[in-house]
Amino acid sequence: MGHLLLPELTGTHSSGIETGAQFAQRVSARAEAGFGPIPVAPALASLLPSSGLERGGVYACAGDAPMSLLFSLVATATSVGSWLAFVDVPRVGLMAAHEYGMALQRVMCVNSGGHTQSYAQVVGALVDGVDLVVVSSPSCSAAEARRIVARAKASGSVLIILGRAGQFSPDVVLSSSTTEWHFHTHASSRTMSVQAHGRRVYNQRALTVQLPAADGAVSL
Amino acid sequence: MTRSIAVVFPQWQHQYGQLGEQHAFTMFEHVVRSLTTISPLVEVEEVGTVVMAARGPSRYFGGDVAVARMLHDLCRVVDSPFGVGVADSRFAATAAAHLAVSRGVPCVVDASISEQFLHALPVASLAHVGGISVDTVDLLGRLGLRTCEAVHGVGESALIDRFGTEGKHVWQLVSGAEVRHLAPGTPPSDFARHIEFESPLTSADHVVAATRLTIDALVAAIAGQGQQCVRVLVMCETDHAESTSRIWGEPRGFGAASLAQRLLYQLDGWLVTNEADPDAPTSGVVRVEFTPLETCEVLVVQPLLWGGNEENTERAARAAAMASAVGEHVQVTVPRWEGGRDVATVYSQIPIALVDLSDQYESERRVNTGKGVARDWSGAVPRPSPASIAVVPPEATVLNKAGVPVGVTGRHELDAEPAVVTVAGHTYEVMRTAGPWPVEERWWDARRKRRHVRLQLLVQNKRGALRVFLMGLENHQWRLLARYD
Repeated sequence: MGHLLLPELTGTHSSGIETGAQFAQRVSARAEAGFGPIPVAPALASLLPSSGLERGGVYACAGDAPMSLLFSLVATATSVGSWLAFVDVPRVGLMAAHEYGMALQRVMCVNSGGHTQSYAQVVGALVDGVDLVVVSSPSCSAAEARRIVARAKASGSVLIILGRAGQFSPDVVLSSSTTEWHFHTHASSRTMSVQAHGRRVYNQRALTVQLPAADGAVSL
Repeated sequence: MTRSIAVVFPQWQHQYGQLGEQHAFTMFEHVVRSLTTISPLVEVEEVGTVVMAARGPSRYFGGDVAVARMLHDLCRVVDSPFGVGVADSRFAATAAAHLAVSRGVPCVVDASISEQFLHALPVASLAHVGGISVDTVDLLGRLGLRTCEAVHGVGESALIDRFGTEGKHVWQLVSGAEVRHLAPGTPPSDFARHIEFESPLTSADHVVAATRLTIDALVAAIAGQGQQCVRVLVMCETDHAESTSRIWGEPRGFGAASLAQRLLYQLDGWLVTNEADPDAPTSGVVRVEFTPLETCEVLVVQPLLWGGNEENTERAARAAAMASAVGEHVQVTVPRWEGGRDVATVYSQIPIALVDLSDQYESERRVNTGKGVARDWSGAVPRPSPASIAVVPPEATVLNKAGVPVGVTGRHELDAEPAVVTVAGHTYEVMRTAGPWPVEERWWDARRKRRHVRLQLLVQNKRGALRVFLMGLENHQWRLLARYD
């Protein structure tokens, strides 16, 4: 009996069934998600001031791989129950997001219709109830930006900006620069350095990561 | 007992269902609309079947036969077999309509022979038009009960004894009672819900998005009583007091998503912006009203899996509804796995109002990638997938060292080594090349066939920064399909 290994209890993933280990991990991650910062992939945690995405915070992904950086930041959070909204990011490669481990069943895509008057209203409505709101080069006035950030703080959501930050001043800017692509039969993995700076980062931090790594996710 | 008229199109699902349920419903909605010229309030329980009360139109048009003829003439323009039946219950009328399909004339069952007609029906029609499970009907047949008369002879208590609630339902059908569900009744009127919009909404999608919270509240209120709604009257009104009313039925009970879907079908057929259509509304919708007509006890409760983060999902759904309420130009969608061969068609987007987010199983199925099966086709570009996909792929040029455009041979091989790529005015030096991966879509269909190749390039810009591009070549034109950023 001692050697009888039940796959359900040892953590081997079989399709569609949650293992005991995954369950425990998810429950603890969920408890964390309710109170502390929103968890990120361990490989990126050391870059961020509180090892995760602070609720009510404003983050920006910049450099030459902003989208991959974004996926690696939010994959863990969506897989433990947070919802994510892309606002006017029609170019998002959802297949790549899936490969980074994002739970697409908790992703919504919003098209604001390009009306600048109502843009802030749309983003404001979303930060009220969606944990992670991703905007691309947001176009709103300084006053609207302040209101959105205040609403995000009140509801504990995180705003992530791709491209130009506009009137927002991000707490943390993560910028990526590719140093090498592993390209043999096809583009398989990439080495890049990621720097964190911004008003909430007291001394610049930098990290070299594989993004994507050979297994599709992110690793040190 | 309510004397009823049924119009059935038995082939409808088969004819129009291939392009999806939505298409079948939208097409059917046009037929239903033309039938509403006879009786304004009709009921659609499933695609291909319309039932209405006979009394009003019969009095107005001078008898059942006259009405049946008029309906028959109306349906003649529809390109699908159909039948019109009139009888003393909904079940009998639907059965009569099915009989009328092959005869080509309406089947009107006179009230005096209504009972005989009902009793002569084969038991199979209980499953066919009565909504009784095939297993039960099969068992009745094996018990030697071949007609509804034989089933009727067994008696109510014996049927309930043997088959429980379904036995009760069988008894109601064969005895001609109109009631179709256990303990039905007019639900208390406080279940009725309506919503009014400040400005008229002209797109069906937006009305549905704006109504979703009302639908959620309605379904939740009924569920709170341990009931579920099986028939509901949906009425929409425009700014100019034009309105559409429709009764929708769902024997398994309406959930929020399925009710939202019916509202969309109803509006899709009505809000068509066709200037020539005299019945088309001249303004947008300002009011939507739901009146549950029939509820039944919840017999099958879907188990809610614990740990589905219901609270997060509920908050997100609410936020999505608020965001889409900002204006008609705002669209909130969720991804659905399609498995298309282009990078842009791997996922499609569907309106969030049509999805039941709290159904964890359905949500996971929606985005499930089919466990890698879809990746194994020979022309697939290997993982990892590109992170940014061009919405409108920009044109590009791919040249070899000598400055000659690179093409592809008939065997899907490059005819030269790419050296320089130009996209939107920026020039990149090609470092490495992978592929090409060919795609031949619908090669059997001369009109819709597509042949293109994809090529992965590692490039360097003038400042030495590395990029990976996914290029596509179709009709001798290179385009930048996606970037690995």
